[in-house]
Amino acid sequence: MSDSTESTDPNDTGGIDDAGGGPPRDPTLRRPDGGTTVLEDDRDAELDRGPFQRWVANSISHPERVYRAMFYVAAIFFLVTTLFPFYWLLMVALTPEGQLQDIVFTPNGFNPGAFVEVFEVIPFHVYMFNSFVIALASTVVVLVIASLAGYAFGRLEFPGRTPLMLLVLVISFFPPAAFFIPLNDLFNTSFVFLEPVTGDGTLYNTPFALVTPLSAIFMPLAIFILTTFYGQIPDGLEDAARVEGTTRLGALFRVIIPLSAPGVATAGVLTFIAVYNEFFFSFLMTDGQPENWAPILDGILAYQGQYEVLYNLMAAASILGVIPVAILVVIAQEKIVSGLTAGALKE
Amino acid sequence: MSRVRLENITKRYGDETAVDDISLEVEDGEFVTFVGPSGCGKSTTMETVAGLTRPTEGRVYIGDDDVTDLAPKNRGVAMVFQNIALFPHMDVYENISFGLRLRKYDDEEVRRRVEEAADIVQLEGMLDRMPKEMSGGQQQRVGIARAIVRNPDVFLMDEPLANLDAKLRVHMRTELQRLHRELDATVIYVTHDQAEAMTMSNRIAVLNDGRLQQIAPPLVCYNEPTNLFVAGFIGSPSMNFVEGTLVEGGLETNNFTVDLDPSRLPDVAVGDAVTLGIRPEDVHLSSYAESLASSTDRIDARTDVLEPMGDEVFVYLLLSEAATGSMEQDPAASPNQLLMSVTPDTEIEAGQDVDVVLDRSRIHLFDTATGDALVHDITDLPEREPGTTPTEADS
Repeated sequence: MSDSTESTDPNDTGGIDDAGGGPPRDPTLRRPDGGTTVLEDDRDAELDRGPFQRWVANSISHPERVYRAMFYVAAIFFLVTTLFPFYWLLMVALTPEGQLQDIVFTPNGFNPGAFVEVFEVIPFHVYMFNSFVIALASTVVVLVIASLAGYAFGRLEFPGRTPLMLLVLVISFFPPAAFFIPLNDLFNTSFVFLEPVTGDGTLYNTPFALVTPLSAIFMPLAIFILTTFYGQIPDGLEDAARVEGTTRLGALFRVIIPLSAPGVATAGVLTFIAVYNEFFFSFLMTDGQPENWAPILDGILAYQGQYEVLYNLMAAASILGVIPVAILVVIAQEKIVSGLTAGALKE
Repeated sequence: MSRVRLENITKRYGDETAVDDISLEVEDGEFVTFVGPSGCGKSTTMETVAGLTRPTEGRVYIGDDDVTDLAPKNRGVAMVFQNIALFPHMDVYENISFGLRLRKYDDEEVRRRVEEAADIVQLEGMLDRMPKEMSGGQQQRVGIARAIVRNPDVFLMDEPLANLDAKLRVHMRTELQRLHRELDATVIYVTHDQAEAMTMSNRIAVLNDGRLQQIAPPLVCYNEPTNLFVAGFIGSPSMNFVEGTLVEGGLETNNFTVDLDPSRLPDVAVGDAVTLGIRPEDVHLSSYAESLASSTDRIDARTDVLEPMGDEVFVYLLLSEAATGSMEQDPAASPNQLLMSVTPDTEIEAGQDVDVVLDRSRIHLFDTATGDALVHDITDLPEREPGTTPTEADS
């Protein structure tokens, strides 16, 4: 408390001297009028102010307390808003069917069997597999193409580089819905040359109907990330690789990409999560049947029948669907951190 | 091993000309150094040999093959880089064997050759270290091992010692010479350090502003520089230059006159501006004049600053006119200054009036207008062949 009483003094230096709790200073030095004011001492000054004023003065002299308080407030806010839905989802999943009213903090009953039931009612594992394949394929496509683009944008000088990069970024600002109708039309059109691949010659109800547009939509961000990383690899390393016997492409895959592992991991994880979580195209580019490459989204909605909605199973399926992404993030985080600490380059 | 031939190599970046019409030939097994100040195009020239840069014009030949359009990997060259450029994510063994593994040599062959290369550069027992765990000198030895392990036709070395400390640099210099002798390889070496160029090379190629100034053995570049740039660049400290004018019977400068017959000089005539060049070791105290075969008249000077280097002493001389009050000028840039080197046992001190002479057999004359060398010895100028008088040549 001694800190706060001292800090009400108008001549306080801002709490720097007070922190040490050193010997009391000469009072005349602290009072320009020699101590003749009506406020005889610190105690009187404190009495003169309300608790809010005291708090304000205290905050001004010790801003770090306010910052810490703000940090906790913000952190708790974000934790609650992000984690409470999962908690609530778990409560819903654990509640037996038919007792789903008024769930707040505890489940009405205990039914872990819902996590098994989700696979019995519909083949949810097939939906998960579909989503996983689609997300993985999109990530591979994005990483390969974005690596080549990132190499060009990050390491080569060519006319129109900046305008082209801007164009790529502008594409990422388009609302994906704008592409939907033409794409849907295109994917429902039969092409003879696709017949050996898809049977009827259309891309609808195939993974390509999802992988193609989703790769394109999430490509610009990956290009941007990889451009930054590849641009930072010293030219000498690429030159060395080329003289030693690689092509430019070989240098990219043997030297530049391994050294940019954190960037590649970041781009890959972001793309995977974004595609895995995507709603719009996932919902509309297949007919929702698991054998037609419908993703998790359709699986969750499949618990919604004509006469009843199995909310507890939808909740359980949602939690199961999140698990692969959660695992991926935990693993990738470790990789990203280890990549950052290991990537000390000598320029 | 192969020779390397550059034919009219020009490289432009937009409007900038980095390399301007360079032609030269490096013989089989020869050690040639490209030397010049920063930005003179020496690295770019080397990159055209390596294939990392495509020349705007001109052809590159290695052996008898035109390699101008070949990728670096197909040229049979190996390169050592200034920034060492070891792959940080590979250990020493992987770094050295990188090129061999790309060429699909079998594992035993790779191991044998890597160990052999590591032996040559004295890296035994370090093959499983990571580059960042090694000192700068060790890293550069790995870089050299990576180059020699493939047994290439041509070695390219782009300032390989520039990032090393002074002591290590001198040590590596001798190692590179030993290596060159052992491997009997064609080496092109780029440096801005003329001491490296002088000590290591069979021939030096001096470059400036993207142009080849002179390509000759080190001592020829030193003793018979083709122009003012080479004369000033080769040698440390650099040559003294005194600007003057040709008059009847001599060369007149601000402070002294050198007797000579202008009609015997090629390409210049009386009235033309001529620059006299003289190296510090060819400026002598006048007491020493008798031991010279031919010396100039005495020149009055005052000693300004002494720089004892141990084996010799550099004396900055102010020529008489300048000695009387030109101190507001930067003395180093003054045309009235000469640098002389004397043996350390010479009795001389700062601020002393001395007489000096120049060794006439070591005086270089340059045409001030073009910078080209006229003669490198004025003791016995040859009779000019009739019909080549400058008046006729000019008209």
